[in-house]
Amino acid sequence: MDSRTQRHGIAAYRLRFSGTGGEYFRVWIVNLLLSIVTLGLYTPWARRRTARWFYDHTLIASSPLEFTAPLRKMVFSFILFALLYLAYQIAAETGQDTMVLFFIVAAAALAPYIWGSAMRFRLASTRWRGLQLHFAARWKDVYLASWPIFVMAALWIAISFGLEMLAADLGAPPVRKPRGIQFPVVSLPMWGLIALGVAVSLLCIIRVEFNYKSLLVLRAGIGKQRGRWKPVYSDFVRIWGATIAVLLAGIALILALGAGALYTLQALFSTARGPAMFMLILVTVLFVFLGLVLVSAPARAYREARMFKLIWSNVGLSQIARFKCDLRHWPFVRLRLKNLLLTLLTLGFYRPFARVSEYRMKADSVTLHVKGGLDQLVGDLVKQQEGLGDALADAAGLDIVG
Amino acid sequence: MAETVSPAAPLRAKWFNGRSSRAREVLIVLEPGPKGPALRLHVLDLAHAASRRFAHDEVEWPPQWSADRAPERLTIALHGHGSIEIDQPQVWQQALAAAGARPGLAQRMQTRWAVLLGVLAVAIIGLVAFYRYGTPWAAAQLSRHVPLEWELGMSQQAMDQIERRWLKPSELPPERQAALRASFDELLRQLDPTLKRYPAYRPRYELLFRRGLGPNAFALPGGTLVMTDELVASAAKAGLSDDALLGVLAHEIGHIEHRHGTRLIVEQGVLNVGLGLALGDVSSVASLASTVLTGLAYRRQHETESDCFALALMTRAQKPTAPMAELLLGLSQEGGAPAPQAHGSTMADWLSTHPATPQRAERLKAGTLCR
Repeated sequence: MDSRTQRHGIAAYRLRFSGTGGEYFRVWIVNLLLSIVTLGLYTPWARRRTARWFYDHTLIASSPLEFTAPLRKMVFSFILFALLYLAYQIAAETGQDTMVLFFIVAAAALAPYIWGSAMRFRLASTRWRGLQLHFAARWKDVYLASWPIFVMAALWIAISFGLEMLAADLGAPPVRKPRGIQFPVVSLPMWGLIALGVAVSLLCIIRVEFNYKSLLVLRAGIGKQRGRWKPVYSDFVRIWGATIAVLLAGIALILALGAGALYTLQALFSTARGPAMFMLILVTVLFVFLGLVLVSAPARAYREARMFKLIWSNVGLSQIARFKCDLRHWPFVRLRLKNLLLTLLTLGFYRPFARVSEYRMKADSVTLHVKGGLDQLVGDLVKQQEGLGDALADAAGLDIVG
Repeated sequence: MAETVSPAAPLRAKWFNGRSSRAREVLIVLEPGPKGPALRLHVLDLAHAASRRFAHDEVEWPPQWSADRAPERLTIALHGHGSIEIDQPQVWQQALAAAGARPGLAQRMQTRWAVLLGVLAVAIIGLVAFYRYGTPWAAAQLSRHVPLEWELGMSQQAMDQIERRWLKPSELPPERQAALRASFDELLRQLDPTLKRYPAYRPRYELLFRRGLGPNAFALPGGTLVMTDELVASAAKAGLSDDALLGVLAHEIGHIEHRHGTRLIVEQGVLNVGLGLALGDVSSVASLASTVLTGLAYRRQHETESDCFALALMTRAQKPTAPMAELLLGLSQEGGAPAPQAHGSTMADWLSTHPATPQRAERLKAGTLCR
């Protein structure tokens, strides 16, 4: 049964995921077929089935999670979303620029609200041992948490003014080429200003992520118990820094391998001339290009794994429970690379297996430590909110945090 | 209590009442009902006997994921009354079947290969039928309701862009332009209601001469036609009469009368949304490829429609269609012209979306294209 250990009145329960890739493939292919037959209208049912399957097989202290979203709301919000999307498509196809701009601005302005309502819907649709989770953030909290976005916007307006001033100091460029594209002249202080802007923007993006995740945990709860959140901003910055290092190392590795391959080819086939040599070089360059495209994948997987571990090692539920996570990031990166390769080779049909294997690695790495027994949680059945955001939050999958 | 008529033995389970995480021992009994099984819950560890019956739609029935394997524990949500947890899934499935539960289509597909394959076949047939016949039909009907003003506005925008990027003023002598315009107007007068796909549709025809884009002619929704100097020159070089150019114009009039520009926008919209939703989950490559290929098929359909229209119009105007076919053949041998990225369709599309231009030109010449 459960790997459960008890010490000092604290019981440890390992989370367990009991689903298999083959079974999820069936769930996925059924969803896909029914979506095709119904011209996409099956999507809310499909999403519900997927969520139920993952929840049914995720055991926390040997009780599975329950997904109880009301179907009617999911269908309604889906149809609303589909109509909006169709309207946007038509506006974009027919070149109605004002309308397109309106859609984009509205989507950007409403993004925090949509995120908040999506999270509220998702948590309110989750039960464990009959107790409903809930998310108590008001929309004001969500907008306040979005402050770094406004800082970023203000910063770039300031930078563009600064660049103009610096450009004015430069005076007129000496000789104008009569034809061809005119590149603006960029001086050293201008590069400095741009670099500063990029660095501060990155810090702002990290801050937004931090704000949203902490808000999600702190305002989430089960029964009367509220979430607890320990990570600090510098934890996030450190993980992002390491991710950038992994990304740069990946790029360097691919470039070095490419150069090495070219050198070896030239040495091996020094007699080859003309088209043959050209083909060899072309193939190598193509591989290097593919490598550079794929190189962001390990960096993203690395960040995902480190972030998951950080969060699931540092959150809890009031004074009763806390989570520990021993996810190792390099095995996760290896798994992601394997999945990516197989998904590419199978034209996407490996995706359900990939999703299950990654979900399993994450779920199985988490342990729940509970003080005072599992029977003490009390709560109320909160009335479900409108499911407007859920249709937009599909991509979030089931990883509510991390 | 009617336990004696219940077909299945009571099942031991745990019940969480929704207000506490403490489990209570319960017995559940499934009873056949008009809409499906109903569920009766008896709480065992209370001093007094507590029992409640849940009708079929008050229960969140757990789906069966596999014919031979079940999750270790099943949960059954009772909406406002908490949840039940069952750790004997196989016994539950048997009880459910005994109580007359009818699994839905999704579940039968999930647990039986035969059903899955059956739906697969239906899906393939349905998909082909929908995108082959359904979407074009719906687009043709929808276009009926698109106002002309809207088409004109859209065309104006597109034309402004094309003018700026690709076109220069024509260098044809004014009298030559006037002569071609006169035959064009003559051709328009032959356009009687029997030829029109949308009898109530009154486009504002205007023929423009421009230079650039190679030997080409194209139509924009609402009635604007553009013919390039290069096309006129190609016809002259091949020693063809103006009937060749008129044939091409008739083809472009066909695009306008059939409102192909507007229909393509609707069709493309349905494709992007429908196929994007259906196949986006497999991979963006699959969804993009199918969207592009189906879009090309629609364009080919439009071109054939326009060809047939051109044949009918030229026949009514008592003009030969052979010169137009000759012009096409000559162009295809020279190699197609570059296609501009504009709404509406172009002669270049005509060439590029039809790998078999020579055969089509032959059939145009013989008049066997449209039966």
